[in-house]
Amino acid sequence: MNLAHVHLLLNHVPTVGAAIAIALLILALIRKNDELKRVAFEVFFVVALLTIPAYLSGVSAEKQIKDRDGVSLMMIAAHESAAVTSLVLMQLAGAFAWFGLWKFRRTARWGRTTMYALLLLSALTLAVTARTANLGGEIRHPEILATDGTTSTEEAIAAVEQALASDPGWINARGIGRWVTDRTWIWPSAEALHFIGLWLIFGVILVVNLRLLGFMPSLPFSAVHRLLPWAALGFALNTVTGMMFVIATPDQYADNISFFAKIGLLMIAGLSLLYTTVFEGPWHVGAGDRPPLRVKLAGASAILGWAGVMYFGRMLPFIGNAF
Amino acid sequence: MDFLQTLQQSGFSKWVSESGSLLGYPTILFLHTIGLATVAGLNAGLNLRLLGFAPAVPLAPLGRLFPAMWLGFAVTAASGLALLVADPVTKLSQAIFYVKLLFVALAVVNMQMLWTRVFRDAASNPGAVAPGARTLALTSLFFWLAATTSGRLIAYVY
Repeated sequence: MNLAHVHLLLNHVPTVGAAIAIALLILALIRKNDELKRVAFEVFFVVALLTIPAYLSGVSAEKQIKDRDGVSLMMIAAHESAAVTSLVLMQLAGAFAWFGLWKFRRTARWGRTTMYALLLLSALTLAVTARTANLGGEIRHPEILATDGTTSTEEAIAAVEQALASDPGWINARGIGRWVTDRTWIWPSAEALHFIGLWLIFGVILVVNLRLLGFMPSLPFSAVHRLLPWAALGFALNTVTGMMFVIATPDQYADNISFFAKIGLLMIAGLSLLYTTVFEGPWHVGAGDRPPLRVKLAGASAILGWAGVMYFGRMLPFIGNAF
Repeated sequence: MDFLQTLQQSGFSKWVSESGSLLGYPTILFLHTIGLATVAGLNAGLNLRLLGFAPAVPLAPLGRLFPAMWLGFAVTAASGLALLVADPVTKLSQAIFYVKLLFVALAVVNMQMLWTRVFRDAASNPGAVAPGARTLALTSLFFWLAATTSGRLIAYVY
């Protein structure tokens, strides 16, 4: 098993997951069921989170297959560019879902605008993601290309390549990569922002989760919950700057064991953010309350998860092979 | 400069920069990062509260975060000193390094002022935010942003 295998495992999550989330959302709207709406938003957040490793493992899969016979580099590039668009839309939808969940936790109500905005955004995301999946499939399954039986597979690939050469698309992964690497000021600026995002996340996560561990007992959890959007902002900032690094220099991350560990721990940290945002356990920790054990465990895993993300991020050049 | 050359040739300096041990340069760099995340991040949380976000959070219990912030600062300062000793000749010739030190000093003075003027008396005076607290919160955020940015630029600007 290698990271190309991980890509095969995860690459259906964005399309199938987004479709399930949309179905749940429609069902919840028809039944006017608030609990089901919450589930749909939670599923969307988790799908968006898993889309990050789905994208990143694709970078590794490319490295595995690009030198093989019958693999068109241009089709990989087209798939990659479509994947960037999908990733951007999916993360927007995920951020929107997170914000909806955070707001619902405080107000116990779902606004109509929030519901229909997510529905629209997720439908668009699904369409773009489905196209990405299709382009990905064509890389190794050229049989789905030849449509009318008269053209050979080679001719079909040539036709696709010609179309791609004349129009590389509006969002182009290689173009973004060159934009980052060709300007000397972008990488250092993105690094500075990545570190500001890092302390914004970690500081807010510490305040919130130290309370869940039992420190500052006179603080009601619902009051510190209001700070969570600042952690989410840091998360968003670091997703954008982090993806800039990967798109610009994919080879530093394609088979970097530290990066694999970092993204694995990021999934734990992301899930713990969902837990603190909307689950019942933390929310009912009032002023003077001692948190129950499972809430304390969640608080500890949030802090350790983010610390681990930082550790393996720092180890990219040392345990891993970046730079 | 002789002293700096001697320092750079010292056993400790060579161990940090050349041993290749994971406990050397990589671990010290990580400690520098997690210390920064603790001291700057907790400061940011407190500052955002003073600026009016999360208004229902009482100030007195937040004052208990100060020991954690000082611990974060101590870890960052100690690891930063080790990183400096490992490479004193280059670092001390970089203007951006002094810019960073200036902002760190301002941020730390600002942190102590937040304690004495806002958080120390919060317990005896619940609900009231001291005058000038918002200004101190804004300057604190600015100093940590500037310190982080200039610190990061040490690796790129010579």
